[in-house]
Order: sequence, then C-alpha cells, then structure tokens
Amino acid sequence: MLELKVLSKHFGGVRAVDDLSLAVEKGQIFGLIGPNGSGKSTTVNLICGVFPVTSGRVLLDGKDITRAQPHQTLAAGIARTFQNIRLFGQLTVWQNLWVAQNGLEDRQRENFLRRWMSGNRRARESVEELLEFSGLADKRDALARNLAFGEQRRLELARALSAKPKLLLLDEPAAGMNLEEVGALDDRLRKIQDRGVTILLVEHVMDLVMGVTDRIAVLNFGKKIAEGTPAEIQDDPAVQEAYLGGAGGRRAAAAG
Amino acid sequence: MDPYLVSVLSNIGMISFIALSAYLLLLTGEISFGQQAYFAISAYGSGIATAMWGWPFWAGLLWGATLAGLAATLVAIPTLRLRGLYFSIATLAFAEMVRLVFEIFTYQVEIDGELVGPDGSDGFRDIRYIYDSNVTAFEYMLVIYGLLALVLIGFFVLERARLGSVFRMIGEDPMLTEMQGLNATAYKVLAAAMAGVIAGIGGGLYAHLTTYVEPKIFNVMLGVHSLAYGLIGGLGTALGPLLGVGIDIGFLESIRAISGYRMIVFGGLVAVLLIIRPRGILDEATVHWLRRRWRRWIHAQD
Repeated sequence: MLELKVLSKHFGGVRAVDDLSLAVEKGQIFGLIGPNGSGKSTTVNLICGVFPVTSGRVLLDGKDITRAQPHQTLAAGIARTFQNIRLFGQLTVWQNLWVAQNGLEDRQRENFLRRWMSGNRRARESVEELLEFSGLADKRDALARNLAFGEQRRLELARALSAKPKLLLLDEPAAGMNLEEVGALDDRLRKIQDRGVTILLVEHVMDLVMGVTDRIAVLNFGKKIAEGTPAEIQDDPAVQEAYLGGAGGRRAAAAG
Repeated sequence: MDPYLVSVLSNIGMISFIALSAYLLLLTGEISFGQQAYFAISAYGSGIATAMWGWPFWAGLLWGATLAGLAATLVAIPTLRLRGLYFSIATLAFAEMVRLVFEIFTYQVEIDGELVGPDGSDGFRDIRYIYDSNVTAFEYMLVIYGLLALVLIGFFVLERARLGSVFRMIGEDPMLTEMQGLNATAYKVLAAAMAGVIAGIGGGLYAHLTTYVEPKIFNVMLGVHSLAYGLIGGLGTALGPLLGVGIDIGFLESIRAISGYRMIVFGGLVAVLLIIRPRGILDEATVHWLRRRWRRWIHAQD
C-alpha cells in the first residue's frame, strides 16, 4: 500500500530521516515509534509533501507520489492529523467536516458547481455519520476553537476521515489524553481499520501502540533500527538501547 | 429626497463596492492596498466605452468590470505567490503604477466638435451618459443600491457555500487548507478576480455619477480606506465593511461639524479597534453568536 524507498531528508547537516525504507500493507495499523527527534513527524511530512524530499521515493499503491504537493497527496488518498491540533477555529464543527470532503471519490461524484455551493445530500449524510462516529453530534454548531481538547482531537480525526482516505497518517493522536480517552481512541482506530482504511500511527503512548498495531518500525536519529510485531519490538535490545541510552530494563523500554 | 442626502448615500453605495472588494481578499488573509487600481481601471474603461464609443451604460459598466477582473487576475497570478507583507507591497506598487499610467494616458476623439477622452493628469471629462439620459440623482442612487444588493446577495450565498468556507480556511491557515486537498493559490487567484470585478462595478458607477475622473482620486488613501472599512466594520459578514463605510462617510465625513477632524478620528478608530477588536465590530464570533440567537428565536416562534 505505502512504500518508502531509501527516503532521506536533510536539513542542512542534520539527517532528520536517513535512508528509511518501509512497507505498510493494506489494512494494517502500522506503528512508527522512536525517541523525540528521531524523525517520525518528518517522515509524515515527507509522505504528505509538506517538505520536498532530499532523496528516495514514496509510493502509494505502486504510484510515485514523491513530488506531489500537499493538496495532491490528499486527492491521492492520504489524509492526516497533526501532533499539535490544527483545526479551522472560526468554522463550526459541521463546517470543518463539510469542507474536508476533497478526496478522490467526492471529486469524481460531484460536479464543479455542486462542490462549491452546497454539496449533495450524500455529502451532508456523510458529515452526519462522522459526527455520530466521533460523538460530536451535539456540538455540530459550535466553533471548533471553543471545543474541549479531547473533542478537538476527535474532530481532527473525523476531518481526516471526511476525505475518505485509503491511508490515514496519525501524528501522536493520543498526546495529552487520559487513560480513558486513550481506550476510546484504541476502540475508534480498530473501527476505522474495519472500514478498510490503512493507518500509519506515530505515537509515544506505548499502551496504545503495543495494543493496537499489527506491525511497528522504530526510528532513532532518522534511521530505522528495528521492525517487527509488537512482541518482537518489546524484546529487541537495539530498541531498549535507543530508548534508554544504554543497557537497561526491558520493562522500562516497553513502557516508553 | 434632499439632494445632499442623495449624494451622501450614493457615495456610501459606491465606496461600499471597493470596501467589499478589499474585504473579500481579507477573508483569504491577504491585505491589499491596491484595490483602487481596479476601481480606476473600470472608471476609465467604462467611461471610454460610453462617452467615446457610444456604448449603452450597462454594456460600458460590464466592460469596465470585466477589464478590472482581468487585470486583477493577471496581477494575482504572480503576486499571490508572495506572502503577507510582500503581497501588500506589491499591490500598493501596482496601484501606484496604474495611477501613474493614467497620469500620462491620453486618448481623445472628436465628438460634436469637441475633444472627448482621458487627457493625462487633466483627467477625463464629460462622461455624460447618465446626465444625457435624464436619469435623476435619486434614480441613479437606486441603480447603485440595486447593484450593491445583488453583490451582497452574492456574498450571502458565498458565505453559505463551501467556497466561502474555503476562502476563510485559507485566511486562517493556508498550509492546512492545502492539506485538505485544496489548491490555496488557485483559490486566492479566484478571490482576487472576484474582488477585481466588484471594485470594477464601483469604479464604473463612480465615473458615471461624477462625469469626471482624474488620476489623483485613485491614490493610496482610497485603498487604505477601503481596507480599513472591513477592519473597522468586521470580517464576520459582508455587512461589516458596509458598517465601516457608514461610519466613515455617513458619519465622520458628512456631519460638517466634525468633518475637519475626519482623518484624525478615523485613524484613531482604526488604532483602537485593532487593539480591542482585531477582526472588527462584527467579527466571526459575534456573527456566529447572532446567528445562533436568530435560529433559536425562529425555533421559538414555531
């Protein structure tokens, strides 16, 4: 589904991402973890076309999207959320979802005028459905900036789904959440997976990553140091060293 | 109706077009000091069409607005790649360039033994179509407000449509808009073209009301004012810039006792509002609140 081939991004002398190769299979929840500054968010930004890559390639379903602009990667089927929540604060919850329906499917279905006036009934139904899914139905007319933190996180996820993506990039969706909210997120991610959406999950909250992912890659200083199932990663000595900076207890490594 | 009142109201109507034009760009987050250029292009263009080519008024107005829209598009394509302040400077420079071109632009033909047409810095006299058609000042005022109403309806439709939300999205966070699959630069060019047409309608109306235009009318102060109207009145609704125009022309300029202090009061007002209400009197939050109130009130009636 998503393939990164010896992907690199250098900022001056800093190798933020260094010869990174990985392959995410269709339908997987793929975890991308690593210590702070290890290049996870940069990788997400490279896939979305926010930064131009230094070298290497990004393939989506075999199609080269390395040089796609951000607005083209969405049309290609990739939607994302952000580490620090980014919403349109002046728009209502409903509008935030409504204007995000710019995936390939919607572009083909609606003609120009429809798209820019009101959208058709199906477009509005799909907003309703996402409001239900995210538990935001009673907040539909609130301005996004007036929502509580957890609600903003849910809205961001719903907005990404609004584009009906094939691949969802989640950049630390559990940051700042309490245990209960993390549990609900875990649940929601599985439901999204059941809809056939592939997920690349960048996350620090190990309970979530270890529980929900099918496969994990670990980055350190821009390089991939390990890849495998959650169980394999927990037992990997290289991973423990990266997290703890030397010999250390594996339990601490697993707890992140 | 009192002729003085008619002239004040006509002025408010015409200036509202250029205020709405600047407002549309403000929605997309761009500060243009140069909307007076499109006002000027259409004033000259429509004047030439009616006074020199013998076109009817509506055709002349349409022609002027089209020219303004085309010019705005051509300017927008290179300048909207600039960000923030650089875009503002570029629009200012372009508007001054247009004004200076009109200072030397001479194109006259002889009609009934008299030379008619733009004559450089002496301006363009005898745009007499309205005057010759025996349209009264009051009737012309109705024409102005009829067109203004059409443009306002357009704005209200836009605000409810996705396109309006997209403009506001770009104003809030262009990068995020891109990541929603929308080509922000293309939408900005569209907004600039629409803004050019709106300013152009005002310019054409202006030329036919005063029958005389000269380049120095279209100086930077006109652009600064049109920008300030939206910032004072509010960016939450198209009624915001109209409120701004009303405050400035209807109140500060027209009440003779204080008109001498107009610029001082106006400047002070801008400064105070930028501090206490950075997005104007009718800002987004206020409009949102009013709309909810209104909806609740409607529900209560059922």
